[in-house]
Amino acid sequence: MKKLLVWTAALGVLWLVPWGEVVAQTAGGATSPLAGQSLRGYTHMFVAYFIAWALIFGWVISIALRLGRLERNLKG
Amino acid sequence: MSRNLRWSALVLGMLGTAGALALHWMVFFWVPTERTMGVVQRIFYIHVPAAWVAFMAFGIVALASVGYLWLKDERLDRAAVSAAEGGMVFTSVVLLTGPLWGKVAWGTWWTWEPRLTLTLLLWFIYLGYFLVRSATENPERGKRFAAVVGIVGALDIPLIHVSVQFFRSLHPPPVVLKPEGPTLDSEMLVTLFVGLGAFTLLFFSFFLFRYGLEYARNQMVRRGTPSEVPGLSGGLS
Repeated sequence: MKKLLVWTAALGVLWLVPWGEVVAQTAGGATSPLAGQSLRGYTHMFVAYFIAWALIFGWVISIALRLGRLERNLKG
Repeated sequence: MSRNLRWSALVLGMLGTAGALALHWMVFFWVPTERTMGVVQRIFYIHVPAAWVAFMAFGIVALASVGYLWLKDERLDRAAVSAAEGGMVFTSVVLLTGPLWGKVAWGTWWTWEPRLTLTLLLWFIYLGYFLVRSATENPERGKRFAAVVGIVGALDIPLIHVSVQFFRSLHPPPVVLKPEGPTLDSEMLVTLFVGLGAFTLLFFSFFLFRYGLEYARNQMVRRGTPSEVPGLSGGLS
């Protein structure tokens, strides 16, 4: 189950990569592709995506930890 | 956890992750911004897939529970409890992302309108599913009671779907599942379908891992070492 945890952590880092670019774009003013569009509530959008993935990753990590503990007990 | 089950879960997880990465690229770089709500409307692309997966998960709980009560097959109970846990997680996503969108679109975090209230009720029904499971001294009895709750709870799903048509509601009506066809912009529709696919694949991947956990738990109980079994009753422990 260590592999599952490593995979989860790696995916978590991957998720953060496009976010940095979007933050840069939304803060980028006139040169940004999003310039001129309504950015009303963009913090709500980021919080919503963060909460969604935090819950989903939290569930995976919880499964990995419980499964790892059980498999260790079964082997031991 | 068997080798086949683990590999199936990993493959589904990788496909789902690829889909989720594609979804994020589409949401943040490709899909057009909705005219009246602005960027906050992009919550739609995780809110709706999470709702779809939650309803599907509770549908699996109901079907597996009917099968369990009928056939008394432990595998069906394992499937039901695994799907119920996923359903709770994805319903939580729906209930937390919705108010963030609603605050900007409606000016309020929460309103006791039919769809929101019935979705919250769904969450509590499945919380009850886990409470009933762990509340009885006889685990087999707990499983049977929980199966009944799982079946009754699923009756709330069609009510949630039709609530926006039958009652005066602040929540917008369906834009995809309509008799006259979807009324979404084509790029928005493609992004939504990528989200639905990615969330579905991820759900089935985690569902298989969770099923493996339940299987290992049963093996542990059969060996007669229940004190070492975390969350013996199969709850959210």
